[in-house]
Amino acid sequence: MKTLSALIRIEAIKAVKRPAFWITIGSFAALNAINVVDFIRTARRVEEFSFSLPESWPEISSILPTAGTLFVGVLIILLFAPEFSWRTGRQNVIDGLSKTRLYTAKVIVLAGLVTLFVAMVVCMGVVGNLFSPSEPSGEIFRAADYSLLAGCALTLLLFGSLGLMLSALIRSPGPAIGVFILCFLVEKSVIELMERAGDFTRRIAVYFPSNVAEDIGSDLAHNPEALARVNVSVTETGLEPFEFLDVEILVAIILAYSTLFLVTGLLSMRARDL
Amino acid sequence: MAVIETAELTKRYGKRHANSVLALDRVSFTVDEGQVFGFLGPNGSGKTTTIGLLLGIINPTGGSFQLFGASDSKGLLAARLRVGATLETPNFYPYMSGRDNLRITAAIKRVDRPRIEQCLELVGLAERAKHRFRTYSLGMKQRLALAATMLNDPELIILDEPANGLDPQGMHEIREIIGILAGRGKTIFLSSHLLGEVERTCSHVAIVRKGRIVAQGSVEEVVREGRAAKLRAENEDALVAALDGYSSATSVHRTDNGVIVKLKHQDFADVSRYLADQGIYLSYLAPHRQSLEQVFLELTRGGPDLMTEIAK
Repeated sequence: MKTLSALIRIEAIKAVKRPAFWITIGSFAALNAINVVDFIRTARRVEEFSFSLPESWPEISSILPTAGTLFVGVLIILLFAPEFSWRTGRQNVIDGLSKTRLYTAKVIVLAGLVTLFVAMVVCMGVVGNLFSPSEPSGEIFRAADYSLLAGCALTLLLFGSLGLMLSALIRSPGPAIGVFILCFLVEKSVIELMERAGDFTRRIAVYFPSNVAEDIGSDLAHNPEALARVNVSVTETGLEPFEFLDVEILVAIILAYSTLFLVTGLLSMRARDL
Repeated sequence: MAVIETAELTKRYGKRHANSVLALDRVSFTVDEGQVFGFLGPNGSGKTTTIGLLLGIINPTGGSFQLFGASDSKGLLAARLRVGATLETPNFYPYMSGRDNLRITAAIKRVDRPRIEQCLELVGLAERAKHRFRTYSLGMKQRLALAATMLNDPELIILDEPANGLDPQGMHEIREIIGILAGRGKTIFLSSHLLGEVERTCSHVAIVRKGRIVAQGSVEEVVREGRAAKLRAENEDALVAALDGYSSATSVHRTDNGVIVKLKHQDFADVSRYLADQGIYLSYLAPHRQSLEQVFLELTRGGPDLMTEIAK
């Protein structure tokens, strides 16, 4: 417990003193605010559009599995990879931290970032709701909203873990961010190809990280009633109905990917010289 | 009590045999409590690799070592909290102040905040402590590294080239601090190129060349191992000519007040006998004490002299 609190204290000092940390957090907060303000303005202009809690959580939280994953991934790289180029990680180990503890500290940072990003979105949603012209329905969260927000948090964990692994493998922030973005683009292209190639490859593509993240970040995966409603109108237009894996399966896949990324990073840390 | 003990410590960089580099080749040495141990060697000889292995940032390829008697990973982690060390250049967070950097070190070493101020005072950085590390001069960076090293009042202090890049004043300050620490009975493991300083400061030395220890022991022992004699005779030309033909002489050179001969052994009687057989009777024969620098240069000399080659 003493070690854990020391690791948190060490990482807190490193992060709060880092301008890149505040710039990234500020940028995400600004993007989030623009998103919510846009919803409020639309609700004021368009009568049919309603922006109120808890119904609007899917719209509010949609920033997390999209821009949020990019911000968390890049930020964790910015907080971890320079430890190699500045050789401060090496000095931390010389001072008495083991390589494993140094890595554990970064996993704690990742958990903190995930919590912070979700909290920012929730706060912005709640504050935005106060300024919305739409009638509030009384409660702020439904069970499905908790599930949705937890799913969004998992998407941040997934791509944050990828960022952490790339930091440990590449050990330089610029190239690590480059490879991180490349991973997004390459995966998207591969998924597109697989979806066009046939039924079998389409079924496999469902399990790719981006698709799993997209699914768990969608309210339809968490809200069967909403899914049924949407599918009725979708089938009426002659399109195929939406299908989602069970949330439990999506969670298991994301946790498996995250564990794989985190363990790979840890093994690299332990095996390589600092 | 042995504070550091290495046994056949080996490090090979690179996996493919053809391209791999044997940085350390079965290095064994012991540093006892209270010793000021100089670890000497030319650039690329394996000094930093040895220190890196001891500090847990480099994984050994073979052999083993103990720190305060601990050799397992848990024991070593605890032992390292009794060590204060810097390796190569001072490594700190450039965007943070000197004080904040020490806060991180203090948190790792589990040291209270008042100790940070004491150490900053000791190294003369108290006034600049609030400024960012990136604005520091090299001397200030070295001093901050020394402050971080002393933060936990360590029993063992490992310093890798602490005077690198410092001006004479900075070197003097570092030397004074090392002197103070040695005076307090701390065990100091010092890697340095400043051989004069090492000879004055250290009680024991090890000389490493191409990853292997070529000499070790107390400074006195290592210097004595230089095995040289100073000779005088009436006819010094004949003396030099005779010594040139002596099979146990490795080098002969004249000085203003005699001839220095380096020997493969320490049997001075044999030298005297040989010269007498050649018809040369010595008026003076005494062991010649070499400086640590001379011993170092002899032991670490490899291949032709670079400057001579350039001159050619």
